[in-house]
Amino acid sequence: MSLLRLVDLSTDIALRRGAVHALDHVNLEVRQGETLGVVGESGSGKTMTVLSVMGLLPPGGRVVGGQILFDGRDLLAMKPEELRRVRGVEMGMVFQDPLTSLNPTMRIGAQVAEPLRVHQGVGKAEARERAIEILRRVGMPRPEKIVDDYPHQLSGGMRQRVVIAMALIRSPRLLIADEPTTALDVTTQRQILELIDDLREEFKMAVILVTHDLGVIASRADRVAVMYAGRVVETATTEELFRAPRHRYTEALMHALPESAQGKLYSIPGLPPDLSRPLTGCRFAPRCRHATDACRTTDVQLVQAAEEHLYACLHPVTEPVAFAPRGAGEPREAAGSGTILSVRELVKEYDAGGKGRVSAVAGVSFEVKAGETLGIVGESGCGKSTVGRLVAGLEEPTGGQIVLDGTDIAGLDRRARRRMHREVQLMFQDSYAAMNPRMRIDGILTEPLEIQRVGDQAARRARVTRLLDQVGLPARALERYPHEFSGGQLQRIGLARSLALEPRLIVADEPVSALDVSIQAQVLNLMRDLQSELGLSYVFISHDLSVVDYMADRIAVMYLGKLVEIGPASQVVRAARHPYTQALIDAVPSPDPGHAPSPATAIRGELPSALNPPTGCRFRTRCPLAQEICATEPPLQGGPHQVACHFPLRPEAAVSAGAAPAGAG
Amino acid sequence: MARYLLTRLGQALVIVVLVTLITFVILHFLPGGAARAILGKEATLEQIAAFNHEMGYDRPLWEQYALYLQRLVHGDLGYSFQLNQSVAEAISQRLPKTMLLSLASTALAVVVAIPLGVVQAVRRNKWPDYTINALSLLAYATPIFFMGLMMIILFSQVWPVLPPEAPQGFTLGEVLADPAGLVLPTVTLAVLTVAVYSRYVRSSMVDNLNENYVRTARSKGLSEGRVIVGHTLRNGLFPVITLLGMYLPALFSGALVVERLFNYPGMGLLFWQSALKRDYPILLGVTLLISVATVLGALVADILYAAVDPRVRLKASRS
Repeated sequence: MSLLRLVDLSTDIALRRGAVHALDHVNLEVRQGETLGVVGESGSGKTMTVLSVMGLLPPGGRVVGGQILFDGRDLLAMKPEELRRVRGVEMGMVFQDPLTSLNPTMRIGAQVAEPLRVHQGVGKAEARERAIEILRRVGMPRPEKIVDDYPHQLSGGMRQRVVIAMALIRSPRLLIADEPTTALDVTTQRQILELIDDLREEFKMAVILVTHDLGVIASRADRVAVMYAGRVVETATTEELFRAPRHRYTEALMHALPESAQGKLYSIPGLPPDLSRPLTGCRFAPRCRHATDACRTTDVQLVQAAEEHLYACLHPVTEPVAFAPRGAGEPREAAGSGTILSVRELVKEYDAGGKGRVSAVAGVSFEVKAGETLGIVGESGCGKSTVGRLVAGLEEPTGGQIVLDGTDIAGLDRRARRRMHREVQLMFQDSYAAMNPRMRIDGILTEPLEIQRVGDQAARRARVTRLLDQVGLPARALERYPHEFSGGQLQRIGLARSLALEPRLIVADEPVSALDVSIQAQVLNLMRDLQSELGLSYVFISHDLSVVDYMADRIAVMYLGKLVEIGPASQVVRAARHPYTQALIDAVPSPDPGHAPSPATAIRGELPSALNPPTGCRFRTRCPLAQEICATEPPLQGGPHQVACHFPLRPEAAVSAGAAPAGAG
Repeated sequence: MARYLLTRLGQALVIVVLVTLITFVILHFLPGGAARAILGKEATLEQIAAFNHEMGYDRPLWEQYALYLQRLVHGDLGYSFQLNQSVAEAISQRLPKTMLLSLASTALAVVVAIPLGVVQAVRRNKWPDYTINALSLLAYATPIFFMGLMMIILFSQVWPVLPPEAPQGFTLGEVLADPAGLVLPTVTLAVLTVAVYSRYVRSSMVDNLNENYVRTARSKGLSEGRVIVGHTLRNGLFPVITLLGMYLPALFSGALVVERLFNYPGMGLLFWQSALKRDYPILLGVTLLISVATVLGALVADILYAAVDPRVRLKASRS
């Protein structure tokens, strides 16, 4: 029986002139007790769909056609008070960003219990009791205390639990979760997704799970709707969709995932269409490698492939999409010899205003060879970005050595330091924020050359044009300002800027984590192409293991300022030796629906504070294997695949012919 | 908290001492000098020299300053020959009246400005917003003496319902006995403040209404009124606290133009008259008072912030 049905739903966002047709005749159905996954890239309309249902459209947004039938009643025909009641009592919503979704000046308990107070007239004391009860139910530690806390006192994961508690306290029949875990670390993501799953069964709710992450969909949804440019292009049961996708866009999305990389990543060319203009034909046609004239001219309708499977494509996929099973990663070509960067016992501490010192990086050592990519992974707060900034010379280490191309960068005078910046450059996560909005691209790219006094004006001009060409942007981009570019293009410009001085090492800090899968693939491919062309080395910092696995020759895993494991990429990912690494790997949702992570490796609890980190092995407070000896610090030991653990999960694998080349020596 | 207060008060003391030094030096470089001002144009050079010697004005500047500080520590703000009363007495006579006027007009301004700003934010880019915006820009741009004059012409000439002059009573009680006379000065002062405050409230409310937590509140099915009053208003009023803190000195210094215009015997008028007559002891005393008020205002605003915003914790900074 369907609980929610969208019939030809169309939503517009008014602009100063005209409107963006964010949703165009969307038909969807959610049944009682099931999880519907809605997947698509930014601008696909997935969030607009749920905001239309909740009546939370942004200013200028308006439903312009169709019906939203909840339990048979059309929400769009209801009176405002009645509508508020339905939305406040029978539906609950969980938002993307838990850090900003709570009122900063209201106590947790008051926020969680507010729907009860307003819609059911529950008294203050009872509301508090009910809030404690529901907080306990969503796995909040010490709910009697938390109930009187303010949001800023909680971590991101805990705040998301509060938002979920707030949605559940009304015992809703429909829970809408819009990218509920995108802002969270993978281990926290796993906890939250499991929680939503458990609660769905317990409360007999229907769930709409909106996400850009195919992995999350594969492991959690019963049915999936794929959206593109304001339309539903394919719906099927999860199992069917991943086994036999029909729409070419669905297929392209799957091919663009680093997990399915066989050699080079498939990247979808171009950008999604501008929805404020009239569109004819299949909206994906301009980016589709199978498109024909028919695709561009006929309005492609949804057709049935199987009982539960609809798709809108004239040239559907016939062959199944293969995900590379873990362990079949292709070995990368051997990296060049010679060490470009050597980091020894690096320490960085920050003063915490009288309360002690924050230990951000605690004795980290590694090397990067010429032409090699070292991936650094870890969750937020593990110190990976700090390592990047230290290596790039943006911060002074508290202790240890950073030797770049044979020179210790600590002892350099001003002039030599400036010289050093030619050798190592940074690439940022948010390139827009990292560019002066009032400078044109040509100024942004020329500036490093001017500071380093490279060449004359004509030479600089030529160099900048060549850079743009290298990152695949037209020369007319030079005349434009940063805000005129899309996220992927900005990332290319960011890369061009890092390349301007022909450095030998680029520190890339989460360079693709703000990008959609298809654009992410474009940028990753570009980075790899330029690496083999220019013989660059990368320090590639990311929280995303599958991206690092695709990019890196060797991977270093950090936890709370310590390096816990380092080794050849394929070995670290497929034969992890540290329990933390294994937990990280298992927490990544796999786009293969058959893949089920073992519950044994789930790590519980919260990251301890770096202010007074645990003694000995810093992971021992959350480690399932921890023993007394873990209170003494385990040394990093082993051959090319090193681990800092008293009880490594497995012995070091013999270096076989297929494995990546030996790293640290 | 106690440590924070101590640190801040220490900083305040340093600032106040610096202010007295600067004021002292500037006042003594003014042409004419105190002797001329008191003894008149006819005074002979001998008379002036004798006066300066008696007052200690012939000693080196640093010595005069040291003496001034020494007296200050004992609570002696000095003596005004022109008013023939001590500075402390002159101030204490006028301060309550000025505070009455300032407090009344600030209270009026806040009570009017907050709802206006909220209405503007909620009806953003619709006619109520545009109308209020235009009116507040007009009020903002009008010179205050002109505004006061218009008030007097309108409400005591054209439509004579209110007296054109403020109450002339000597004590606070006498002033309060004539509330009608307070209306025009209070309203004149408030108009400008309303214009400033409502703009702050509007922009802060607009920012807050776009925050995610407001969307969360709406998702609970709350009425619009509850979303605005229960969730957004408190967060939206933080800038007003800063403004109020910045306004505290005006509470003591008085509104020069308005007091002059309505002939209200407050601090502003006192300062105005003393400046014309080069009455240094009064000028120094008033400046000192205002600098203390300025520093205290910033401190009070910080403490208020900590009281209403749970994210703010008062800590003694180490820098």
